[in-house]
Amino acid sequence: MDSGLINPLDLGANGLPYSIPIHPNLVHLTIGLFIIGIAFDIVGVFFTLEKPVFKFLSIPATRSGFFDVGWYNMLASCIISFFTVAAGFYEIMLARPEADVKSAWGLGAAETMLWHGIGGVLLLALIVGMTVWRGFQRYIVRKEKALQVQWSYLLLGLFVMFLMYAHGTLGAHMAAKFGVHNTADNLLRMGLDPNTLLK
Amino acid sequence: MFENLLPPLNEHNLPYPDTMHPIVVHFVIAMVLFGFLCDVIGYFTKNYRLFEVSWWNMFFATISIFIAIIFGQVEAGLALAYDAVEPVLNLHTLVGWSLSGIIAAITGWRYVIRLKDPKRIPVAYLGLGLCLALLVCFQVYLGDQLVWVYGLHTSPVVEAVKEGSL
Repeated sequence: MDSGLINPLDLGANGLPYSIPIHPNLVHLTIGLFIIGIAFDIVGVFFTLEKPVFKFLSIPATRSGFFDVGWYNMLASCIISFFTVAAGFYEIMLARPEADVKSAWGLGAAETMLWHGIGGVLLLALIVGMTVWRGFQRYIVRKEKALQVQWSYLLLGLFVMFLMYAHGTLGAHMAAKFGVHNTADNLLRMGLDPNTLLK
Repeated sequence: MFENLLPPLNEHNLPYPDTMHPIVVHFVIAMVLFGFLCDVIGYFTKNYRLFEVSWWNMFFATISIFIAIIFGQVEAGLALAYDAVEPVLNLHTLVGWSLSGIIAAITGWRYVIRLKDPKRIPVAYLGLGLCLALLVCFQVYLGDQLVWVYGLHTSPVVEAVKEGSL
C-alpha cells in the first residue's frame, strides 16, 4: 500500500502498530473449533462402533453429548471467524511483502495475498452457511432423530477442511516465505542484525 | 545413521514443506480456551450441556498436546535458533512440557467431577480453568514471538543463518 497513506500509523519494523499479528492467533480458533466440530459430529454418527471402546475405558458417553460438541464448536467457530477475517483484512492492507520471490506453489506475494483474501471471505461464507444449516438440523428438521446431522453436511465439512488446508498453506507462505509482518525478516531485509536488535 | 532416512531439509530447514507445530496447536489452543468459556457460560446459565462440551474438548486437548509437543521438539531442534532467540525458545519448551502435565491433570480431575455429577462443576475447577487459560495465552504469546518476532523457520532467517550473517 502507498506509504504516504499509512505513515501516520507509527508502524514498527514488522509493518504493524503492534508487535505480534492478531490474525494468525484468531485463526487457531476458527480452524481448531471448525475441525473439532465436524470431527465430533462424525464421532456422534459412528457412536455404535465406539460404544464398546468408551465402555472399556469406563468413560460415560452419549450420542447426544457428541452432537452437542459438534453444534457448539461450530457456532463458536462461526462467531470468532468474523473477527479473524476483519483482523486479516486490516493486516493484509498493511503488508509489505518481499517482491521478486516465488512461493513453493509458484505464486508471487501479490497473487498469494489476493487468493488468501478471496479465500478468507469464501471460507467465512461457508462457515456461516454450515452453522446455519447445523442449527437448522439440530432444532428443526432432525430434532427428533437419533442422527442429528446429514451425511451431506459431514461431506461438505470435509471439503471445507481441504479448502482450509490450501488456504492455510497460502497464509503460511505469506508468513514464512514472503516475511509479511515478520520482525526478523524485515530487519534482515533492511540490512540490520536481529541478533543484536532483538536481544 | 538416521540422517539418511530423512528427506533433505528445505529452505525452511524442515524435512517437510511447512511447519507442523503451529497447525497442531490450533487444536490445543482452541479446545482449552473454548472449554473454559463453556464452563463459565454453563455455570452461570445452568446449561449443563455445555459441561459435556467442555469435558470432550479437554479430553481431546489432552491427546493433542502431546502430538503438538512431538512436532514442537522436532521443529525446535531444527530451528537454527540464534543467540537472541534462545531464552524465549527455552521458556516456550519449558511451559509447553509443563502444560502437558497440567492439562492431563485437570482433565483427570474433570473426569472425576463428571463421573460424580455431570450437571455440576465446583468453583475451584473454574478458578483452575482460568489459570490454565491464562497460561495457554502466555504460551501462545511466546510461540508468536518465536515466529513473528524472531522468524524461526522463515526462509529469510534460515538463509541468513546458513550464510553465517546471523
